[in-house]
Amino acid sequence: MSNKKLNIVLAGVANVGKSVLFNHLTGLHQHIGNWSGKTIEKAEGTLYYKGYTIDVLDLPGIYSLGTYSIEEEISREYITKEKVDFIINIVDSTRLETNLLFTLQLLSLQKPVILALNMIDLAKEKGIDIDHQKLEEILGIPIVPMVATKGKGITDALNRGIELLKTQKPKPEIKKELTAKERADLSHQICQKVIKITKPKKISWPERFDNITCHEIWGYPAMIVILVLMFLAIFRFGNWLSSVLEEISSGWQIGWESIFGISIFVSLSWSAVESTIALIEIALPYIIPFYLLLFLLEDWGYLARVAFLLDNLMHKIGVHGKACIPLMLGFGCNVPACLSCRIMETQRERFITGFLTTLVPCSAVTVIIMGLVGKFVGIGWAFGLYLFAILMIFGLGKLASKVLPGETTELIMEMPDYKFPNLKTIVLQTWFRLKEFLYIAGPLVIISGVIIEGIYLAGWLPAISNFLSPITVKWLGLPAITGILLTFGILRKELILVMLATLIGTANFAQVLNPIQMITLASVSMLYIPCVATIAALIREFGWKRAFGITGFEIGFAILIGGTVYRILVGLL
Amino acid sequence: MKQTSLINLRPGEEAEIISIFGGQMATKRLADLGLTPGTQIKLLRKAPLWGPVEIEVRGSRLVLGRGLATKVLVKYVE
Repeated sequence: MSNKKLNIVLAGVANVGKSVLFNHLTGLHQHIGNWSGKTIEKAEGTLYYKGYTIDVLDLPGIYSLGTYSIEEEISREYITKEKVDFIINIVDSTRLETNLLFTLQLLSLQKPVILALNMIDLAKEKGIDIDHQKLEEILGIPIVPMVATKGKGITDALNRGIELLKTQKPKPEIKKELTAKERADLSHQICQKVIKITKPKKISWPERFDNITCHEIWGYPAMIVILVLMFLAIFRFGNWLSSVLEEISSGWQIGWESIFGISIFVSLSWSAVESTIALIEIALPYIIPFYLLLFLLEDWGYLARVAFLLDNLMHKIGVHGKACIPLMLGFGCNVPACLSCRIMETQRERFITGFLTTLVPCSAVTVIIMGLVGKFVGIGWAFGLYLFAILMIFGLGKLASKVLPGETTELIMEMPDYKFPNLKTIVLQTWFRLKEFLYIAGPLVIISGVIIEGIYLAGWLPAISNFLSPITVKWLGLPAITGILLTFGILRKELILVMLATLIGTANFAQVLNPIQMITLASVSMLYIPCVATIAALIREFGWKRAFGITGFEIGFAILIGGTVYRILVGLL
Repeated sequence: MKQTSLINLRPGEEAEIISIFGGQMATKRLADLGLTPGTQIKLLRKAPLWGPVEIEVRGSRLVLGRGLATKVLVKYVE
């Protein structure tokens, strides 16, 4: 230990508070973050402790070190091949017996392991008394009781780890690799020896609550109420905040021009500033509150119940219940939603889920639907469009699951107990999602804003609208100007509305569009293409070929649907 | 001793796993979660409309897809 540099690894199954521990250890000095228990990428961070520089690696939340998934393979490779000074294996004390199954596997790799008994306070509350000294004797490794959310036991774990390095204690008792059956039996025996149940099991309030939220009939109305309340709260808050922000920034362009004068470069640089403002105007009012509420539900334990209730429905579109989590993320922004498809187990399901998330109306599409249809046609029609989008998602999901080879994997998921949400976890998760949005969408949005301004200044806009008029005017029944809107909407969808206002010189869209045209334009905007940032995310996750396959399909599909909607509405109204 | 599929248990009933007829992947994954022959389980609830089931096993709660649950053969605990 001459340079006093250590490499440690955090390992554990999903939902044991591993991310919380990681955040405590490394603060914000980390490269990549993810959902608790859904950490797929290598999340690394650095910590300085007692003169040591400690690099901490957060392994994905996995149940096994076998080769069931990519994450398991990565984890096993890393532990066996890299220089690992010690491993902190964090377990949920209230589920010791199942969690020990993974610990036993970990021990067979013959690396120094510290076992952290997390949520020891919850276990005590539940009347589960764990004799950790006895457990230490049996396993032959240091055992540390921990309450990660309150920061208890964390320095103990580090101290014991460093101590272990100095003393070179004998390796753990588990010598060889055991079969799953042997591990299960051993874990059971160990728990019989170290666990004492002190309180008789009584029905606690979370269980009572579960009887409603997972009830075969009442579970569904409860879910609808919770989700609708959440969406309504975000719409109202978002509308209010975005109008405030618009007011604040309304005079800035004139200010910019009065400082720098009027020239091509000033216009181009202003468009970069304007795009940055647009990013903020979508992130602050919509994306941030949405993710805060969603992660509140997740940390509380409710999203797992949604997955339980919707599993059957999701099976109909070729994926299992967990897919509803990326789909719900999509209502905020499609970029993090696409990236979160990694929680699905197989490539096939990741792809179907990824494809479907790009059809979910994101915050920017919400701006169009609410600002155009909601404002000028009626709120009922706006909600109708949402319903329409959901029906399309189901229809296309069903189609995709028929076309793509392979079978739907069955849902296997641990049901977390309801617990009091941890504010720090929620804020950090929101921040990580927001970072994905800013890193991937940010540069693309700003660059493309400048490009549009360039095209506008070059006087090429009429050429675009003429070129597209066979589709926009003849087939979709829209004014020729929409060709420009739909072209630039690819860059970021709310541009469709922003540019329309700029081009016609007023925000009273009723002057150029009749209600039928508004609905047609909104439904095409909703379906027609993932925006550039989402395409970039798709390329990252699924490769060029599939990303462009999805894009091409959605353009064709939206044009087909848009024209059909137009004709039906003309016939009906 | 009466044998049945896990799916036929009623909420609150306890049983012991005899065997699992799933694919290799699913069987292995269930084993990693501690669902091996001889394990005691308790059915907590079933989601309606052919949805998943929630069981209690080794002090944890686990949700299994209905299709998978039908492949778990159990016997009632006396």
